[in-house]
Amino acid sequence: MYYIHAISSITHQNTFRIDNIIKELSPIKENSNLISPDYKEFIPGAALRRLSPVLRIGLTAAIDCKNKIGKKFDAISVGTALGCLRDTEKFLKTFHTSTSDFISPTSFIQSTHNTIAGQISLGLKNHAYNMTHTQNNLSFEMALIDAIMCINEGKINVLVGSADEKTPFLELLQPKIISKKYPLSTGGSFFSISKTKNKIGIIDVKTIFNSKNTELEIKDFLKKHKYETKDIDVILHSDSNIEIPKSCHFINFLKYSGLYYSASSFALHFAHDYLISKNKNSALIVNDICIDKVGLILIKSNEA
Amino acid sequence: MNNLRENLKEQIIEQLNLEDIKPEDITNEGDLFGDNGLGLDSIDALEFIVLLESKYNIKISDPQEGKKIFKSIDTLASYIEKNK
Repeated sequence: MYYIHAISSITHQNTFRIDNIIKELSPIKENSNLISPDYKEFIPGAALRRLSPVLRIGLTAAIDCKNKIGKKFDAISVGTALGCLRDTEKFLKTFHTSTSDFISPTSFIQSTHNTIAGQISLGLKNHAYNMTHTQNNLSFEMALIDAIMCINEGKINVLVGSADEKTPFLELLQPKIISKKYPLSTGGSFFSISKTKNKIGIIDVKTIFNSKNTELEIKDFLKKHKYETKDIDVILHSDSNIEIPKSCHFINFLKYSGLYYSASSFALHFAHDYLISKNKNSALIVNDICIDKVGLILIKSNEA
Repeated sequence: MNNLRENLKEQIIEQLNLEDIKPEDITNEGDLFGDNGLGLDSIDALEFIVLLESKYNIKISDPQEGKKIFKSIDTLASYIEKNK
C-alpha cells in the first residue's frame, strides 16, 4: 500500500486547506469559477507574474503539501492532459500572426514539456526526479503509476498530482472532442504519498487503453486484489455506464469537479475524505472520461 | 522624450505582466534588473528585445549591448531616440 499523507486541491469547489471537503461540495454550475487562494502567500511576485492558472495551482498545491508533511520530496510526478494550454495558445497565435523576427519567449518556454513538474521543482528548490505525464484522461493515473514506481525504487516521500486549465478556445472545441456534457473547469489536486502507514492507502492503479468493456475491466482489476464490486463501499465514476450492486454508493465525480481531463485526481481527494468522514472501508475510482481509455484506482481505509 | 519614457513604462508593465507595479513606481534612472531595481531577469531581457522590435522597429544584433541599453528607462529611451 502507498499511503496518502497530505492533499491539496484548488478547484471550482471550496477545497483548498479544508480538512474534509465532502461537506463543501455541491454540483458545479455553468460559468462557475476557480476558487483561488491568495497565491502571493506561496509564490514570490516576480515568479507569479509569469505563471498561468495551471502553474499557479500546481506550485501552490505542491508547496501546501510540502508544508503539511514538513519534509522534502524525493520525486515529483505530475499528470496533465493539456498542459499549459493558455501559454500554448498564446505562443501559437503569435507565431502564426507575428511579422516580427522575434516573438515573446515566455509563452514558448511555458509551452514546453515538463513545464508543470519543472516549475514545481524550481519553486520548491528541489532538484529531485521530476516528470510531467501527458496521457489524455489517464494523465493522473500515469503520474500515480510513476510515483508508485519511484517508491518501489526506494524513494521515501513522493509528490504526485495533476492539473489542467480551461480556455475559451477549449470551450469552443469541447463538443467536438468529448461526448461528456459537463461544464468545463480548471483544477488540480496534489498528494504526498509514501510507504509510511496512514489512514488511507492506495492499493493499486491501472490504466487500460483500447478498453472494450469497462465493467469487465473493473471485475478483473478487483479480482486481482481479491475484491468483488459488492465489497466496494463507494465507486466514484466519470458518468460511467456501468451496473453496480445496490449496496455500493455510486457517485459521479464530474458533477462536482466539472470537466477537465485529469479530474480523477479530484476524485481521489473526494474518495479519501469520503472514506474518513463516512467511516467506510474501500473506494474505487473509475475514470473513463474519454471513450475506451479507462483508469482505475483502488483505495482502502485502515481505520474503518 | 518624456512621453517616450512614460510609454515605455506602460509597455514594460504590460509586456512583462508586472501586476502590482504602476508607471509611477518606475523611476527613469533606477535599475530595471537585479535585486536593487525592479528585479527583472534574463527572460525579461528577451522580452525587451521583442518589445524594441515590435513597437519601435529596432533590432539589437549584439546581445552584449542589451546590458547597457536595458539598464534603466533613461538608457532605453536614449537608445530608441538614437536608433529609430
